[in-house]
Amino acid sequence: MAVTAPVDDRPRAADVHRVIAPAFDPEFYRAIYTDLPPDMGPLWHYRMAGWQEGRDPAPWFSVEGYLTAHPDIAAAGVEPFWHFLRHGRHEGRDIVPSRHAAAYFAQVGWTPEPWSLEGFAAARGAADGQRRRRVSAPPLTALERAAVEAEFDSAFYLALNPDVAASGMDPVDHFVRTGWLEDRDPNARFSVLDYLDNNPDVAAANINPFAHYLTAGRAEGRSPRHNLGFRYDVIARLKPVEARIADAVTASARLRVDPPGRLLIALGALGDLHMTLSHDNYVEHSGGLQACVRREAEQFARRGVAHLHIYPAKPWPVVRASGEAGPLGVLLNGRRLGVFAPDAVANALRAATSGAGRRSFAVHSLLGHEPDATADILNAAGLSEGFFWLHDFASLCAGFHLLRNDVEDCAAPPADSAACAVCAYGATRARHVEAHRRLFERLAITVVAPSQTTLEFWRAHGDLPARAAVVLPHARLEAGRPARRSRTPRPFRLAYLGMPTPLKGWPVFRDLAQRFEHDPRYEFLHLGGAPDPSAPAAFHKVVVTADRPRAMQETLDELEADAALIWPLCRETFSFTAYEAAAAGAAVLTGPDSGNVAAFAADPAVGRVLADEQALNAAFDTGEVLALGRARRKAASYTLAYSGMTADLVS
Amino acid sequence: MKILCYSSFTFSYLNRARVLFQTLREHHPDWELAALITDRPPEGFNFDPAAEPFDRLVWASDLNIPNFQSWLFKHDVVEVCTAVKGPFIHQACDWGFDAVIYMDPDTAALASLSPLEGWLEDHDILLTPHLVDANDDDAAIRDNDLSASRTGIFNLGFVAIRTTGEGARFAKWWNDRLLSYCYDDMPNGMFVDQRWCDHVPALFDRLKIIRDPGYNVASWNLSTRKVTVEKNGTISVNGAPLRFWHFTKLGAVGDAMTKRYAGTNFPVYEIWAWYKRQIQAATDPTIPDRWWAFGAYDDGRPIAKRERVLYRERIDLQQAFPNPFASGRGSFQEWLEHEGA
Repeated sequence: MAVTAPVDDRPRAADVHRVIAPAFDPEFYRAIYTDLPPDMGPLWHYRMAGWQEGRDPAPWFSVEGYLTAHPDIAAAGVEPFWHFLRHGRHEGRDIVPSRHAAAYFAQVGWTPEPWSLEGFAAARGAADGQRRRRVSAPPLTALERAAVEAEFDSAFYLALNPDVAASGMDPVDHFVRTGWLEDRDPNARFSVLDYLDNNPDVAAANINPFAHYLTAGRAEGRSPRHNLGFRYDVIARLKPVEARIADAVTASARLRVDPPGRLLIALGALGDLHMTLSHDNYVEHSGGLQACVRREAEQFARRGVAHLHIYPAKPWPVVRASGEAGPLGVLLNGRRLGVFAPDAVANALRAATSGAGRRSFAVHSLLGHEPDATADILNAAGLSEGFFWLHDFASLCAGFHLLRNDVEDCAAPPADSAACAVCAYGATRARHVEAHRRLFERLAITVVAPSQTTLEFWRAHGDLPARAAVVLPHARLEAGRPARRSRTPRPFRLAYLGMPTPLKGWPVFRDLAQRFEHDPRYEFLHLGGAPDPSAPAAFHKVVVTADRPRAMQETLDELEADAALIWPLCRETFSFTAYEAAAAGAAVLTGPDSGNVAAFAADPAVGRVLADEQALNAAFDTGEVLALGRARRKAASYTLAYSGMTADLVS
Repeated sequence: MKILCYSSFTFSYLNRARVLFQTLREHHPDWELAALITDRPPEGFNFDPAAEPFDRLVWASDLNIPNFQSWLFKHDVVEVCTAVKGPFIHQACDWGFDAVIYMDPDTAALASLSPLEGWLEDHDILLTPHLVDANDDDAAIRDNDLSASRTGIFNLGFVAIRTTGEGARFAKWWNDRLLSYCYDDMPNGMFVDQRWCDHVPALFDRLKIIRDPGYNVASWNLSTRKVTVEKNGTISVNGAPLRFWHFTKLGAVGDAMTKRYAGTNFPVYEIWAWYKRQIQAATDPTIPDRWWAFGAYDDGRPIAKRERVLYRERIDLQQAFPNPFASGRGSFQEWLEHEGA
């Protein structure tokens, strides 16, 4: 388990403008809303008043429809078009077209020009400097059209392009007329962008690349997409750490802090108190670490101990240096008290804890915190001894996943190694290690590792002056019983659990599913919050919430998955998904660099550790993996018993 | 061993040279690093050699090349930046160093180059071939093997010599050839300084051809070199430590060739991404893109390649116009306008 990327839900005006401007359709807006003041731009009007009056920004998007379908967005008071473009489309949220769309199209006749997503795509491309200047698509011949229709995947296209789905337009038509000009792909196996990059002759001819591939390119041996592997894309998109830090500095400096007196009043006089620090607001964000802090808070609450959580009010990619502004968010028993300067937090705590009481603390992540300010705050509350959790390896490197350039486990080599020299995180590694060293020098720290393998690795690759170290797993399997398994023969079911991200190994699953898509021996399942049609896998929506903490395990069990591919690129300190899979009776299939997952799956009763992605493919090729079928394995299912986190360590 | 390492470039390549010298300084703080510049700083750019990551600055105009302006005019930017390597290395043999190493500005050291010093104990000349393993794929043969056959077996982005014996003899010979025959003229057997070195195994003794795949890794040999990053932090090429990389053709062309031959060997892209970050940090925005002071006549009009070729082929013009960069009455430029067309 590791820190998940923090998300700031509150949009800034500049961000709203940047995100919606390219997708906003001014012609549509002016044509439909004839009452606009003549001297006011349509986008300006929409942003300032229009959306709150239920006016739609483009023919394919209904403000009212979006807010009705998603009451949480309506309740948050967030501008819906921005929300959809920034978050909603990635979360698989539905949209409906404007009720004015039909009238508008009838009025203007259909032409590509009103489709503002062209502008959107152009702006997106311009940002990465790769956009070619293509403005119109020549018509296809009947032969080309038939070839395109034969291999076009409408479901794929509509799933990836909800705007097209909402418009009701025929997806092939859309692709042929403008879609390819916007780098939209016709199926999961063909990349418009790659094909045009690899074939400058096709790009120069301004012809439909998919049609070219089907009618000529394929026979000429041209590739439908680059064969550089998903890691090439990850490297190409990697944002320099220095730029990420600069963004955090700017965002933090812009924050307005609340008056210190407010915190003083809100805290009152605290008796028994447990304090936690992490990289974000665990109430607002979900993820493994956040669930751990939530559980820890619940355990202390049961004992009648108050819980105070401190986090950087703006997300940070690294620990904060002393000169960098870092307003802190404060939660008391899950309730947000506001945003305060670190010294204001220390002063308020000093006053609030002047009375007697049991006190304890746990640092779950130092991201966004400055070590001396952190020690000052804890000292102010009378604390000098506490716990530091190894949820990730931030105490060894700024690249806290130990994933060199976000593509390969690095195993924390010497800081002066060639690997660190070429790694995007190399230059900031010392900053991270020294910040943690400072914290460990100021406080008496007991390190808590959620797995033995994590503790051993941490000890072998660092030298922070911890007072003691313990292992406390987040969960364990209890009370085994035979797992559900049907008697009728069926294909082997391999599941992927959770968000389809490279970090968690989605591309490995996708490539495997694509390769064995038509092999009758296998079925591929994806259980998560949002589908990704690039993998031919049956999607099952599963959202783990506080009310349904075992949703993943239950669904996996119902679907009788034979195995789960838990193939994170990074070394996990503790993988909840691996434990959920095992608890549901699915074998855990993983690679050697997955940390706690590999240690867990090394037990033949749990799963299998394969040498690399080549070995994974070979296991499916030969059918060796079929030995992990529920029936052949006589699979067992278990109850997952969670720890009480730091509460288990504090008497 | 007392070593001088130099690179030849114009201000357009200062960013690349900075990255090269920074990496050399990191791995070889004892080497003396020299910049050989055939250019003048652009207006608006504050060139402070003391703040640069090299120890010694040599202007090409100070190499005592006879009729320097006339000689320079005969070359385009690539030709002249390679031609001046000869006079420099020849003259540097008298500067008190045991060895002189040349590295192109678009190379960078990724690890210590100390094995070179060991080899220079037993050899006087070190060269790196473009290819140390043959290709057997048609496209790769056309792109790489046949290309090397046309442009030279050895890549002269690197050469190292002892300043005595065969090393000094090589330096004098290379100096002589490059002063007169350093042109991009493949039909006549020339590809700047490089084709000349095809003769080196025949003309000189004490030559070591470096066949270690960790040296001079570049897009032209990626088809036969696999890069891996070990858990101990070493970067290896076919199992040997990566020493230096040749980042030829930074941009779309280089990217295309790299992708063609690196394929899924993703550490190659990591190394390129690192290099691009270094270049970005080393780039001074006050140097205009593609700047070269000797790319234009005095009145600012660009000098066409054919005008340089005409001048170098006509001794009468060279005698009539000893400063061909001049504009105005009686200039080569004026002659071209009236008679040269």
